[in-house]
Amino acid sequence: MIGKTRIGLGVTAVGVALALASCGGGGLTSDSQGGAAATTGDILLGMVTPLSGSSAAIGPYMKNGAQLAINELNASGGVLGRQLKLVAEDEGCDPKTAAAAAAKLVTAGISVSVGGYCSSATLPTLSIFGKANIPMIIPAANSTDLIKDKLPNVFLLNGTGAQQAQAAADFMKSAGLKAAALVDDNTSYSKDITTRTAKDLEGQSTKVVNQQSVTAGEQDYSAAVTAILRANPDIVYWTGYYQEGGLIIKQLRAAGYKGKIMVADGSVDKQLVTIAGKDNAQGVLATMTQTPQTIPGGETWIASYKKAFNADPGPYSTQSYDAVRVAAEAIKNAGNTNGKDVIAALEKIDGFKIFSGSLKFTPEHTLTNGGFDILVVKGDDFALNN
Amino acid sequence: MSIDDGSRPERPSNSSANRSRPDAADASGFVNAVDDRGDTKVALAGSGLAPGKASTVNPLSRLISHPLFGLVVVVLAIALPFINSSAYTIRISTDALIFVMLAVGLNIVVGYCGLLDLGYAAFFAIGAYTAGVLTTTFGWPVIATIPFVVVAAVIGGVLIGGPTLRLRSDYLAIVTLGFGEIVRITANNLDFTGGPNGVFGIPDFGDFGLRADIATYWVVTVVVGLAVLASARLGRGRLGRAWRFVREDEDAAEAMGIHTYQVKFAAYVTGAIFGGLAGVLFAVHQTAISPPSFNFLYSALILMAVVLGGMGSTPGVVVGAIVIALLPELLRGAENWRYLVFGVLLIVVMIFRPQGIWPHRVGEKPAKARRKRVVEDEPEVIP
Repeated sequence: MIGKTRIGLGVTAVGVALALASCGGGGLTSDSQGGAAATTGDILLGMVTPLSGSSAAIGPYMKNGAQLAINELNASGGVLGRQLKLVAEDEGCDPKTAAAAAAKLVTAGISVSVGGYCSSATLPTLSIFGKANIPMIIPAANSTDLIKDKLPNVFLLNGTGAQQAQAAADFMKSAGLKAAALVDDNTSYSKDITTRTAKDLEGQSTKVVNQQSVTAGEQDYSAAVTAILRANPDIVYWTGYYQEGGLIIKQLRAAGYKGKIMVADGSVDKQLVTIAGKDNAQGVLATMTQTPQTIPGGETWIASYKKAFNADPGPYSTQSYDAVRVAAEAIKNAGNTNGKDVIAALEKIDGFKIFSGSLKFTPEHTLTNGGFDILVVKGDDFALNN
Repeated sequence: MSIDDGSRPERPSNSSANRSRPDAADASGFVNAVDDRGDTKVALAGSGLAPGKASTVNPLSRLISHPLFGLVVVVLAIALPFINSSAYTIRISTDALIFVMLAVGLNIVVGYCGLLDLGYAAFFAIGAYTAGVLTTTFGWPVIATIPFVVVAAVIGGVLIGGPTLRLRSDYLAIVTLGFGEIVRITANNLDFTGGPNGVFGIPDFGDFGLRADIATYWVVTVVVGLAVLASARLGRGRLGRAWRFVREDEDAAEAMGIHTYQVKFAAYVTGAIFGGLAGVLFAVHQTAISPPSFNFLYSALILMAVVLGGMGSTPGVVVGAIVIALLPELLRGAENWRYLVFGVLLIVVMIFRPQGIWPHRVGEKPAKARRKRVVEDEPEVIP
C-alpha cells in the first residue's frame, strides 16, 4: 500500500510540475522581474476586478468601460503605433485571489494596471505590481490605506474617502442640519468615510448623534433602525453598498423616519431604488463622483457604451474608461512602456480631461479635486441635486 | 524525508523486526496467510479498490515505495523555480504550499483525533495578525515574531479548547464555528489590527539575493516540508495512536487508560500551532492581511482539503490541499463559471472516492510485511 499512496503523491507532484512548466520560465535573481519592456506587439493593460463573489456585478461595468476606451484608442491608431489590449482577471473581492490575479497579469506582461475595486483585495496587489515596476491607475478602490505607504507606482483615479467625507460634511452644514447618524457596513471603504465624516463634523453645527456599523449581507436591520430613531437625527448617512442600503432605507421609512437619507457612492445604483421601493427612495441623496448621467453631454458617451455592449453603464464604468485613457496618455508622453518612464509621465499629466474634471495628480497620487456632487433620487434613478 | 505516515524509518533493522514479530522464523506460513488476507482489510477502508490489485508488485510501485521517494517530492518542490519561475507560478505554488500546511494541521485535529473543527481559520488569523502587527507596528523582523505567534496560537487553542473539548461532535463543531467568527469579527473591529483594512506592508524574510517571491517560496517550501514530516511522524507515534483510538471510540479509549481530555487537548493545541505558523507564512506572502481572508468559507475549504484527500492520511491530505488550492486558479479560464465547475468537480470526487483521494488505510501494509519476509530470510534475524 505504500506503493499506492506514493504513486498518487508522485503522479500529482509530477503533474503539477509539468502543468506549471508549460507556462514559461524566467530568471531567479532579484533584478530579473519586470525587466525589459517589449517594444513591439500589443500593449497589454491589466485589470484586476471582481467577476465572481458578492461584488461580481461591478466587474463587467469596469471591464466594459475600459474596453470602450481601448476600442476608441485603437480605432484612432493606438498608442505609439501599437494596439492596446485589455487583460482582465477575477479578484472575487478576496485578497488571496486578487494577489494571484495580479501575479498572473505580471506574468502576462502587462504595461499598466487599470483595475482595483475592493480596497482590501487591492492592498496585497500593490507590492506585486510594485516589484514588477508596473504603474497602477486604480479606478475604483479609494481607501486612503492604498496610498499610506507612498508607493511610487500607485495612482488613485477615484475620489478618496477623505474627499467624499468632506463633501458629505459640507452638505450637512450648508443644509443646516443639526443631527446626523452615520452608518457603515464595516468594510474598509465604508468605515473610512464615516470615520472621516465624523472627524470633519467635530465642532461644527452638525452633531453626530449616532455612529454605528452593521453587518453586510443581513436581511433585518431593525436593531440599527431602532437605534437611529432613538437618536432622532435630521439625516442618516449610509456609506455601504446598495444591497444593504436599499433595505435600510426601506426599514427606516417603514419605522416612520421622516428625515433626510444620504448614501455614499457605493450605493449609487438603480438597484438601490428597486430594493428600497420607489416611493421610499424618492429624495434620497447621494455623494457621488461625476457620472455621464450627471455631466452635460454625457448622453453620447452612454449611447456609444450601449451600442458596444448592449447594456447600460454602471458604477465605475467611467472611471475605468478614464483609467485606460490616462494610461494611454502617459505611455504616449513617456514614449515607451517602461514602468519608471510611465510613472514619471503620470506625475507630469496636467489638465488632461477626464469625467471628474481636468486631471492633475497630487504629490500623494490622488485627484486634486475629488469632484463629488450631491445627487438625489428622482423617479427610478439618481439625478443631480440642484 | 518520507512523508508517508504508514511507513517506519525504512531500514531493515533486525531489532525492530524482532520486536514486532518475535516468532518470525517459525510463523512464516501464518504471515503469508495474513498477508494474503490483507486486501480485505484494505477494502474495508478504501471500498473502491479491487481486491488482489494492491499486492501485485509492479516496477512502478517498487520505485515509488523507495525510501527516498518522499525526498524526491520535496526536491521537486524546491526545484520548481528552475522549471518555471514566472510570478504567477511562484505565487500560486506558494499559496498551495501554505494551504498544505493548514490542511496537515487540521488533519491532526480532524483526521487523527476526530474533532470536527469548523473554525480552523481562527488560528490562521491569530498567526497572521500576530506576525503582521508585530512587524508593522513595532518593526520586528518576521523571524522574531515566531515565538510570539506560537504563544498566541497556544493561548487561542487553550482558550477555546479548554472549555469546549469536553463537548463532543456537533456541539464542538458549533462552538469552533463560533470561535472562528469571533476572531474574524474581533479583528474587523479592533484598531490595532487595522480594522476592516487589516494590516499591510508586512516585510518578507529577506531576499537572500534572489527574486523576493522565489526566496519566500523556498522558505515556505522548507517550513511546509518540515511541517508535513512532523505531522506524519506525530500521527505515527504513541500520541498519534492515542488520537486514532479516541477518534474510533472515545469510551473504549478512556477505558484503556487514555486520558482522552488531555489527548484531545494535545491535538487541538498542536493543530493551533500549525495554523498559527501557516498564518505567519501567509502574512509574509500576502504582505497585506484583512479579515475577509479568514472567513468561514476558508475554514470550510481547509476541512474540505482534509476530507477530500482522506482523513488521517498525510499524503492524501497533501494532495487534497494542493487540489483545493490550485483548482480555482487552474479554472480561471472558466471565468464566471469557475466556482460552479470547482464545486461540481468536488462533488464528482466525493462520489467516486467517498473515502478521499488517498484514504488512510487500516491494517498492516503489504509492502512492509514484504520487507519483513525478506528480513526473515536473512540468517541474523533468527534469534
